[in-house]
Amino acid sequence: MFDIVGRKKWFFLFSAIITIPGLIFILLTPITNGQAGLKFSIDYTGGTEWSIRFADTAVTSDQVREALDELGQEDVTVTHTGRGFFDIRLSGLDLREIPTPAPSSSSGPSSSGSPSPSGSPSPAATPASTAEPAPSGSPGPSGSPIPGRANTVPTTGELGEIAAGLQERFGPIAEQAKLSSIGAVVSADLVQQAILLIFIGSLGILAWITLRFRDAKMGATALVALLHDVIVVLGVFAILGTFLNVKIDGLFVTAMLTVIGFSVHDTIVVFDRIRENRARHVGEPFSEIVNHSILQTFGRSITTSFTVVLTLTTLLLFGGAATQEFVLALLLGIISGTYSSIFNAAPLLVVWQEWEDRRKGRISTPGTTRRATA
Amino acid sequence: MRRTGPILIAVIGLLALIIDFWPNLTLPAFSAGETSRRIETKLGLDLQGGLKVEYRVLPQLDRTPTLADVQVVKDIIERRVNATGVSEPVVVTSGTDRVVVEVPGISDTAAIRRLVGQTGSLQFVPIPPNTTPPVDGTPLDMTNAPACPTSGNPTVPCVLFGGEELGSANVGSDPQGRRTVNFALKETGKNLFASWTQSHTTQNFAIVLDNVVISAPVINEAIPGGNVQISSGGLGGFPRAEAEEMVNVLRFGSLPFPVEELASDTIDPSLGQEFLNRSLLAGGIAIMLVILFMLIHYRLPGVVASFALLYYAVLVLALFRIIPVTLTLAGIAGFVLSVGMAVDANILIFERTKEELRSGKSLPQAIEAGFARAWNSILDSNVSSLITATILYLFGSSVIQGFALVLIIGVLASMFTAIVVTRSILRIIVAKEWARKAWLYGVTDAEFTARPTTRSGLRREVRRV
Repeated sequence: MFDIVGRKKWFFLFSAIITIPGLIFILLTPITNGQAGLKFSIDYTGGTEWSIRFADTAVTSDQVREALDELGQEDVTVTHTGRGFFDIRLSGLDLREIPTPAPSSSSGPSSSGSPSPSGSPSPAATPASTAEPAPSGSPGPSGSPIPGRANTVPTTGELGEIAAGLQERFGPIAEQAKLSSIGAVVSADLVQQAILLIFIGSLGILAWITLRFRDAKMGATALVALLHDVIVVLGVFAILGTFLNVKIDGLFVTAMLTVIGFSVHDTIVVFDRIRENRARHVGEPFSEIVNHSILQTFGRSITTSFTVVLTLTTLLLFGGAATQEFVLALLLGIISGTYSSIFNAAPLLVVWQEWEDRRKGRISTPGTTRRATA
Repeated sequence: MRRTGPILIAVIGLLALIIDFWPNLTLPAFSAGETSRRIETKLGLDLQGGLKVEYRVLPQLDRTPTLADVQVVKDIIERRVNATGVSEPVVVTSGTDRVVVEVPGISDTAAIRRLVGQTGSLQFVPIPPNTTPPVDGTPLDMTNAPACPTSGNPTVPCVLFGGEELGSANVGSDPQGRRTVNFALKETGKNLFASWTQSHTTQNFAIVLDNVVISAPVINEAIPGGNVQISSGGLGGFPRAEAEEMVNVLRFGSLPFPVEELASDTIDPSLGQEFLNRSLLAGGIAIMLVILFMLIHYRLPGVVASFALLYYAVLVLALFRIIPVTLTLAGIAGFVLSVGMAVDANILIFERTKEELRSGKSLPQAIEAGFARAWNSILDSNVSSLITATILYLFGSSVIQGFALVLIIGVLASMFTAIVVTRSILRIIVAKEWARKAWLYGVTDAEFTARPTTRSGLRREVRRV
């Protein structure tokens, strides 16, 4: 029989090896003021993301970057995506100050949302109570759509100048696929909200496990395993951010919370079996019961995670670039969650229980009060 | 349950199929206020392309907007967006001070943003006596309109005063009990209106919002006190909705608070289409891979689980269409993820069933025990997922909420399909002679033979591991 619990120190060591470098890189983020560590997308920092295609297909991303530099844009990333599009990120520019063109002298929208039932007499204004309606028909509202100029390349404002500058150099912009702009105000909210959500989510899981297993130790060790997964995912993204400039976006917190909710599944399966075996094999050493339980449920822990890994890998390979970081975060978290459930949560439970038993053995003499939590 | 289970499953499955694939189904209105709705798969802006703008309602003169204020701003913005005639715009409030405008498809994004962001101007406009009074809802260009002359009749529509002179507005009634719209003017407006109405009785004046006539009543008599009542000649006066609408315009025609554009997003419909196609492809491949794995790994129960998975996909799509859930890129990712999670309950059950078979139970007994014993883990796991998904739904932004809702629906639906559907079908199948073969369940013949007592079986199991 393979002794997982007996080798627990090795597994803890492995966890340390995969979490500590990540932790260092996470901590680099505030230390280097964002130069290394986690990189945040415009969702957090504010800025503009712009996807355009030039009619001239010979233009390269280096040329575009150079041109933007000449146009006075600092901190620009340009990536060449499929179908000839350039994804341009301008962190120094947010579109909120897009100027309002002078109102034209022609009439505005031809109808308002106000209802005006046809055939109703037109109203009269009085200071008193008498009303003398002057009947006249009034047609119902009719909407006239604004002529369909397709999502046009901006011509005004700072981005308009940039667009003009680019078109001067590379010829006309043939197509604009995406134009997103986010003000920096949203960002401060998002970081705070993300931390708060992860915190509340962890507390919720802690409370639920403690409640269902009537054992605070199980709740706490499950929580430790969760934090392990959160650190692994954050750490990998901090490393990827440092070296490959991979950014975390507004959906990242969603991935983290999904990981928190899912990675505890395997922990629950193991803990459920520990509870069952504990009742069935009273008197056996706790470490052996836990080891039995891990081995009995090992196959299904791997299998349940495998089906999820299967679907996520499919998404990563075929789902397109838009959700790639999101799916990668989920994937890492779920693999880490399976590992931490089997090799951290359950063995930690043994460590805690044995420590408690030793402590009890030292301080309590036979016949004195027993622990109430057993 | 044994009798009704399969019937229930068939009925639900059939309903889901109809909702998914019957073209042009409409959902009847449940209450008087609702209109019937066509059942369709709603796609988010990132999948169908369009414009999304997020506004923040700014505090003004030390007054912080309340939730009700934000709602009012939302209503005004919604009216403005509707006025542009774009199809199916969505305007919602978000958080404590946000208003999000979504306009699907191709449109002149600059014009919409210009229109929505403006503060709005409400004007009181006397109509020259020799012209026909304008009809409600028609445009009246006031861009270069002059101020009104202090005496005599104007020759063109002129501005007497603006919305800033309006004190309050509410729905009232005249002595005959007919519904009216009443408003009160502030000091300057009161004086201007008093002298104007004194000398221009029987003429019309118009209330104009952003160059559109809201109402153009006749001045019946001099109105010296600044308290104005607009009545309508219908049997009961104004219809309620119309009166409330007009009061809202009077109160809030100009935005009560300035708004600031926080973020905007323009996505070309072709890009959205590409995202959609790729996500659907990935989803299809994911379902096939999971089915393949379940068939190879679990054999006969795997066939049942695969059927349950397809049933799950059909059911979830039906729920998305009927609720309706707006599917975004993240939402589809959530759905694909949930496909992987939906079979997890089956995996736990089948593994437990194998264990019970090895411990000496007969096939039907082992299956029942498999379901019963795996239930705790399945419930606890799914509740964990529901806890985090609910937190996301309650506190997340709209994109996050979409994902969370998909996940919540997925978890609940999978508990139904993986437990109720799978169990009912397995119960029917194991009653058949052909289904009682060891290899169909991935166990050896020796393990498959029913043993006399469970107790000895359990001991054997413990000794082996």
